[in-house]
Amino acid sequence: MAEVRPEEVSAILRKQLAGFEKETDIYDVGTVLQVGDGVARVYGLTKVMMSELVEFPHGVFGLVLNLEEDNVGCILFGEASKIKEGDTVKRTSRVASLPVGEQMLGRVVNALGLPTDGRGPIHTEKYLPIERKALGVIQRQPVKEPLQTGLKAVDGMIPIGRGQRELIIGDRQTGKTAVALDAIINQRYTHTPEAKQQGIQPVYCIYVAIGQKSSTVAQVVDKLQQEGAMAYTVVIAATATDPAPMQYISPYAGATLGEYFRDSGRHALVVYDDLTKQAQSYRQVSLLLRRPPGREAYPGDVFYLHSRLLERASKLSNELGGGSLTAFPVIETQASDVSAYIPTNVISITDGQIYLEPGMFNAGIRPAINVGISVSRVGGTAQIKAMRKVAGRLRLDLAQYAELEAFAKFGSDLDKATLAQLRRGARLVELLKQGQYVPMPVEKQVVSIFAGTNGFLDEIPVEQVQRFEHDLLELMDLKHAALLKEIAEKKDLSDAMTASLKTLLTGFTASFKASVKA
Amino acid sequence: MRSTRVARRYAQALMKAAEELRTIDATAADVETIGAVVRSSREFRRFLSSPVVSVARKKAVLLEMFGTIISPVSLSFLDLIIKQNREPLLPEILEQFAVLRDAQMGVVNADVTTAVDMTPPQLRDLQNALEQQTGKKVRLKVHADPSIRGGLVIQIGDTVRDASLTHQLERLREQFARGASLSH
Repeated sequence: MAEVRPEEVSAILRKQLAGFEKETDIYDVGTVLQVGDGVARVYGLTKVMMSELVEFPHGVFGLVLNLEEDNVGCILFGEASKIKEGDTVKRTSRVASLPVGEQMLGRVVNALGLPTDGRGPIHTEKYLPIERKALGVIQRQPVKEPLQTGLKAVDGMIPIGRGQRELIIGDRQTGKTAVALDAIINQRYTHTPEAKQQGIQPVYCIYVAIGQKSSTVAQVVDKLQQEGAMAYTVVIAATATDPAPMQYISPYAGATLGEYFRDSGRHALVVYDDLTKQAQSYRQVSLLLRRPPGREAYPGDVFYLHSRLLERASKLSNELGGGSLTAFPVIETQASDVSAYIPTNVISITDGQIYLEPGMFNAGIRPAINVGISVSRVGGTAQIKAMRKVAGRLRLDLAQYAELEAFAKFGSDLDKATLAQLRRGARLVELLKQGQYVPMPVEKQVVSIFAGTNGFLDEIPVEQVQRFEHDLLELMDLKHAALLKEIAEKKDLSDAMTASLKTLLTGFTASFKASVKA
Repeated sequence: MRSTRVARRYAQALMKAAEELRTIDATAADVETIGAVVRSSREFRRFLSSPVVSVARKKAVLLEMFGTIISPVSLSFLDLIIKQNREPLLPEILEQFAVLRDAQMGVVNADVTTAVDMTPPQLRDLQNALEQQTGKKVRLKVHADPSIRGGLVIQIGDTVRDASLTHQLERLREQFARGASLSH
């Protein structure tokens, strides 16, 4: 290890000093009139601008949100307990910004970009403002590349494309975060050389935890670490102990970080978990700033709060690099009430929603996605051709099954056609069940759904369907890996491939049925 | 906060009235007179703010005290304040009037902090320099604060010109901390 000699130290210090210019600092100040509840009212600051960052003593920063006749209302990012009446507040002449760069990957940061995982400072070169105007129409192009979540139910029937906003909505404890996490974990594949060969671009992930318990966030980070997902993920945590202003801006920080990747021609996925808590924080801050309350006591611009956030997720035109930012906002409903204020707002903004129902969850159908009312407004354009071919029937079969489900209680007093539909539907529902943290690559999904929609499950008892799928995929890995690879590379199912798939499925089904009887 | 708004309105009203009657200087002098009494006598302040004393009694007292030494406009202004039950605001109203008067006369207040006391020639130079820079008349308020170690800090309105040694040292420390890597 090379040692630094004393002369070198002095030389460096002298160089530093030489570059130092003695100059008068000119800044604008104000005085704190009133401070409390994370909000401070400041007298003075006559030239301050809206949404400007101001500096309080003890390193606390604030954001100017209210410009009134005789005072300025600021929200505080940090410990309000250190601020006293009469303290001096300085203008910084800049808006709130976030450090951005690849160095953020693998780290857990707070809403201002400062690391909270105890692994030292993050040295980035660039800072981008947290609030940015979304791009116009000309700079965008329609969504066309798939973003594979690894969940059969989603990738089959509610496909999501890169640049889309898909809402994950449901009651508490229905698996909303699980869907988002599986999607993040599934992006691990996009960073491998095989994916590059197949023309799949890597997706960087940002998980924004808003108002959650620190223990929950710790569990999420831990899981992502275990699955090797932290290498391409940033976690922005504004937990329940963080002041409401931090919870309010954290999703915008996530969007800024995502935009950094998007604008450099790359792809990013940002999960906002969850926006209900952000709306509540914004309501708290607005009420403390004495802004008039509207419906459900939310301020009048709560729609704009979410719309400007979600509009930043987009697919860029080729001239701008073709990058994309996909958004998964999460909304928690109370007693499945999707016609409440905030849920309806966000539903009207997003390009589709994934409904998770507590009834299905409790009945053991997990992911508890109600496919009937879940929608993706991008649809088939975001699927590979192979998936489009096999999943086409899936939605129809499930819809018909849902209609007839009530009759299933009658048992055998039904005609053959109805019975067949019931049989098929029950097995498809069983097939779409998936464990947590085991996202499935798209080629395997294609094989699995192919088996289901082409009737290979119809003779298998419902309880055996999961084992059937497991054994089938194991067989594919062992003996027919070439076929899987072909599906992955060609992204289509040619007639030849379909024929060979049918042949091997027939053989496998026969041997499986035999093993069941035994 | 709220009281400043009200006080300012009253002060503006008085200023406007004075402007219309072209008696601004006289009114300003009157405000000074009244202000001096208000500041010096606690009894007077309590008397004015007391809800027990009747309006008529208050008007009578004011007439006796100020009747001969201030203009009719100023006197009726005081009557108005009493009528509107805004007596507790009187000190602040007078303050706000002084602010308006300064603005009207083109005078700015400069708060100067130095590490050591300045000599009169230095103060004169400073005043001239500031007056040249701001283009207005400058009223200096100087006080010494050894904690700034050297240099001076000038605050005019909301703008602070910080040329203190403490601040320079702080900036130096920040610069060192930023360029902390040896491979600079």
